Amino acid sequence: MIEINNLVKRYGDKKAVNGISFTVNDDEVLGFLGPNGAGKSTTMNIITGYLSSTSGSVKVNGHDILEEPELAKKEIGYLPENPPLYTDMTVDEYLDFICDIKGVAKAKRRSQLEKIVSLVKISDVTDRLIGNLSKGYKQRVGIAQAMVGNPSILILDEPTVGLDPSQIIEIRRLIKSLAKSHSIIISSHILSEIQEVADRVVIINHGKIAAIDTLNDLSKRLSGQTKLLMTFRGPIKECSAKIRTIPGISSAVPKLADSKVSQLEISISGDKTTDIRTAVFFMMAQEGWPILEMRSLDPTLEEVFLNITEGKGRA
Amino acid sequence: MYAIFKREFLSYFRSPVGYVSIAIFSFLAGFIFFTQFSNGSVDIGSEVISLRSFFVIIIPIITMGLLAEDKKRGTDILYYTTPISLFSVVLGKVLAAFALFAVMFINVIIHIIVTVASGGTFGVGAVGTVIVFFFMAFMFISMGLFASAITDNQIISAIVAFIIILLTQVLSVIADYLGTALTSVAKMIGIKASPASAIGNAVRNGIAWLDPFAKTQDFRLGIFSVSSLVFLVSVGILFVYLTYRVLEKKRWSQA
Repeated sequence: MIEINNLVKRYGDKKAVNGISFTVNDDEVLGFLGPNGAGKSTTMNIITGYLSSTSGSVKVNGHDILEEPELAKKEIGYLPENPPLYTDMTVDEYLDFICDIKGVAKAKRRSQLEKIVSLVKISDVTDRLIGNLSKGYKQRVGIAQAMVGNPSILILDEPTVGLDPSQIIEIRRLIKSLAKSHSIIISSHILSEIQEVADRVVIINHGKIAAIDTLNDLSKRLSGQTKLLMTFRGPIKECSAKIRTIPGISSAVPKLADSKVSQLEISISGDKTTDIRTAVFFMMAQEGWPILEMRSLDPTLEEVFLNITEGKGRA
Repeated sequence: MYAIFKREFLSYFRSPVGYVSIAIFSFLAGFIFFTQFSNGSVDIGSEVISLRSFFVIIIPIITMGLLAEDKKRGTDILYYTTPISLFSVVLGKVLAAFALFAVMFINVIIHIIVTVASGGTFGVGAVGTVIVFFFMAFMFISMGLFASAITDNQIISAIVAFIIILLTQVLSVIADYLGTALTSVAKMIGIKASPASAIGNAVRNGIAWLDPFAKTQDFRLGIFSVSSLVFLVSVGILFVYLTYRVLEKKRWSQA
């Protein structure tokens, strides 16, 4: 568990981080989003003890990062933006060195390293020089490095940057499997990635928290109501009038109408527990208007993100 | 600390740095020894004193990468985010460089063995000079380490170390110039001759006191001067501490 309280980092008279507070619960994946220069890496560097904050506090499992740095740092595994790799060492030598500086006991070392190496799938390159590895492997060695010492918290700064799609999926899978026993903070530019792995999202902009919530709530709060987009074959005016009679539907706005297909944007109000789609389906079937497509118009994380960071709407 | 020491020492031999510096040292030591040997009079003390003037090249080579390289690679983040203490990092690095120096020093030990085996002498003066040679190397290595901490560019770090060590080598000359200059300035502004030269002498002696090479002269004569050793070690420790402060300060930087 990490408690971050009113964190400020000042560079000259510019505040890179300006009063950030949030909490990461145990076994939770927290997505950390923000445009370039928003203060993501700075915040992560402060949490891990690489930088010190101008004011504010970071508590890692109850240990203050400045007052009890050794205890706090033991709980954290950090993968910075550029993985801290010694290119002149082999993977084995490097991980052994990491065990040394993290103070992993010799007796436990072997089994722990074996587990990590097979988990991040680098067992076939352990005797190769890190400098000669591909970007994907380097990134995985970086993750392995963060996992050494069994920290309960992993902080990953853009872990999938520069990887190919299949590697990205693999790393994502790895993060999901790690999430069962670790608290994870993950920052990324790839929003779909955050959407896939994170339980909650913190969006920061200009060094301040712009939004913090679960993904679902975030998109719902932003849109206000749930919308459905339905594509069907049939007369649009009659259909829209008919659909409005279904309880729970507040409006049905024609979007597109030509000889072949029509499109309606249906706004749902009221309680969201009953699924309105079945009612719509039976009504349409009764009238003999085949539904070609029906999908939810919840804003994607991209839209939420742009909305918040460009200040169009505050969540 | 041992982890850092081990990594740093072995990394000298993963790159040309270790081999090149050992080769340069071996060549110089071998050349000096050979010249003396072929003349039929070997003095290990004077060999070591000659070698000492090459510190200005050898020390920057072995210290330039110690911390600058870490910063460039981004591996210094490990020192800040793992439970290891920064001071033990600094200590591990300085000991690694010193260990490399000790490996180079094997040359001199071989020369001593050869000298003694061929019926030459290895007198008290020579023993003292060799001892002080070691302490001086420690001092210069910690100066080089400091130069490596203030930049992320190895070349700049090497140049800074080069300049620092060069300055110590010409310290007695600087002291003389400054002393003479101050005496004449004092005379010009109307101070009488004897106090004027007293001022000049005080400054000259003050600066000359800092000259590490002057500290070794006692040993050459067979006098074991503890105060000189204390001086060299203190300056070395001072620079190790300054290096630690530079690293520590980085986290707190607000600019």
